[in-house]
Amino acid sequence: MTLFNPTVARVLGWLTLASLIVLALFGLWGAPPDDVQGDVQRLMYLHVPAAWVAYLAFAVTSLASALWLWERTRSPVWDRVAGASAELGVMFTALTLIIGSLWGRPVWGVWWAWDARLVTTAVLFFLYLGYLALRRVPADADVRARRCAIAALIAFIDVPIVHFSVTWWRTLHQEGTVFDPELKANIHGTMAFTLWFGVLAFTLLFAYLLDRRYRLECLNEGLADRQLRRAIEERVRGAADRDAPKVGADR
Amino acid sequence: MTDAEFVIAGWVITGLAALIYWIRLERKIRRAEQLDLDA
Repeated sequence: MTLFNPTVARVLGWLTLASLIVLALFGLWGAPPDDVQGDVQRLMYLHVPAAWVAYLAFAVTSLASALWLWERTRSPVWDRVAGASAELGVMFTALTLIIGSLWGRPVWGVWWAWDARLVTTAVLFFLYLGYLALRRVPADADVRARRCAIAALIAFIDVPIVHFSVTWWRTLHQEGTVFDPELKANIHGTMAFTLWFGVLAFTLLFAYLLDRRYRLECLNEGLADRQLRRAIEERVRGAADRDAPKVGADR
Repeated sequence: MTDAEFVIAGWVITGLAALIYWIRLERKIRRAEQLDLDA
């Protein structure tokens, strides 16, 4: 069981690989260095797409969780999608923080600052790390799915806080640049292309990995069900053997 | 560290993280598929 048809998944995999290679070529050589930041700005072609995919992954987790909680759409599929997407979201949030830190050292002069955007992003990382830990707590499938769905929806509250933290508080992290109408950001054509292409390449990578992670979730669930059934059968057989009258027991 | 070293570190870490995650995922899928076949 996969999310996409196998042919679509294969095409998606090759498309993802090709787009990541093109992104590396443009990000490292094709795009010119920034006027102010120089070459360090090339880290933005990873940082921005990674942050976007982290938002997307947590949005998918929340949507899938809501669909699981709503009785009319309840299906184990949504629980699996939520778990798979959250794991990817945690990975991309970690990458966002690491790349941001590598960019911050030469530009801000520090690896880390107790800045609203950075702190709320770190909180987001730990919230969903907790969500993943909650998924590993043994319980009945429905009970686990319900408590994880509720936890995912609560954790998602932090996503708009992360996004708007730069406008709500005075931060070291810059405000939104590309969509700020007052700023009228003039980005060089190749730099803008590389940034948007990075967003596309990372979105494809997310879709491909989500499909694979979903497949693993399905296989693991099947194995766990089979192991449980076998354990119950063995227990029943053991009890039956114990209760059976023993030949020659009275002699 | 020079600017170029920060850039290379960022790209290498991202590439390796994605590659390692994907390899581990494929290995887990293959192992689970094998167990599924054995059962």
